[in-house]
Amino acid sequence: MVLYSFYIFDRHTECIYSRRWTPMRPASSSSKTPRPTSGSSITSNGGVTAAQRSKHADDEKLIFGLVFSLRNMVQKLGGQDDTFLSYRTGEYKLHYYETATRMKFVMLTDTKLNNLRPYLHQIWANLYVEYVVKNPLAPVEHPGGIGVANELFERALELFVTTVLPS
Amino acid sequence: MVVFALFIISKSGGLIYNREFHAGLQKLNSNDLLMLAGSFHGMHAITKSLCPNPPVPPPPSSTNAASLAPSPFTHRATGLEVLETSQFRMQCFQTLTGIKFLLFTEPQQPNIDTMMKKIYELYADFVMKNPFYTVEMPIRCEKFDRGLDGFVKLRG
Repeated sequence: MVLYSFYIFDRHTECIYSRRWTPMRPASSSSKTPRPTSGSSITSNGGVTAAQRSKHADDEKLIFGLVFSLRNMVQKLGGQDDTFLSYRTGEYKLHYYETATRMKFVMLTDTKLNNLRPYLHQIWANLYVEYVVKNPLAPVEHPGGIGVANELFERALELFVTTVLPS
Repeated sequence: MVVFALFIISKSGGLIYNREFHAGLQKLNSNDLLMLAGSFHGMHAITKSLCPNPPVPPPPSSTNAASLAPSPFTHRATGLEVLETSQFRMQCFQTLTGIKFLLFTEPQQPNIDTMMKKIYELYADFVMKNPFYTVEMPIRCEKFDRGLDGFVKLRG
């Protein structure tokens, strides 16, 4: 199993947590620029440049917009109680889970995995609620991701993806 | 097995064919369907650009005859192929010319790939070979309709 990235979006469409496990793809959709070889991508992996960071922010917005419109499309076609679960392309698979409070959990993995919705639910119930919601120091809302990426949550998430997720 | 519907989206994002085989999806008017097709066209492009591991073209050093005419299509990220929801499953097949076939089925439907292939075959036979059909225009070909009907009923 390969895990690419994981995102949490709050009900205000903002990305409050994002985590990547692979070096970011070099150039986006525009394949004009030659792709760096594996050696060069390792060297550029050391420090996250400003360009990369803005690239990440762009990706977050794209993913939010995408799951939002896919969810709306699914509800239009399948009725109000239909829920969007996942989609797969030739290269990756996106898993989606939405809580009753409209928080969205999104995970990008390789294509071999079955639906991860129960695991995303577990992340919400056992990690997010436990370490972020019940944290007395964390604010109620998390503008800009304040209070989400605390040490306990990060560590628990790391443990979760290495031990609980099917390999 | 239940096949709910088939949509065909042209390469510019217009809905050129829609056909419902079984009730199951919501009834939508043609305006909504057109909007849906257009927005799906955009979403498909976004799923393509989000790819975290772009396919790497093979080294150009191979000397076989096939490499003399490099195809621009084989090393491209594919974009959305299967969409799963709690009530249906949508398979999207994009041809090399950019036409998208969307097939809506039950979530646990086997052999969608072969069905898709067959539908593409019907499309090639009865739509593309129809001298009165202009590309990018809505498909009104009786033989295509009948072929689809026969095919879906045969499998159902």
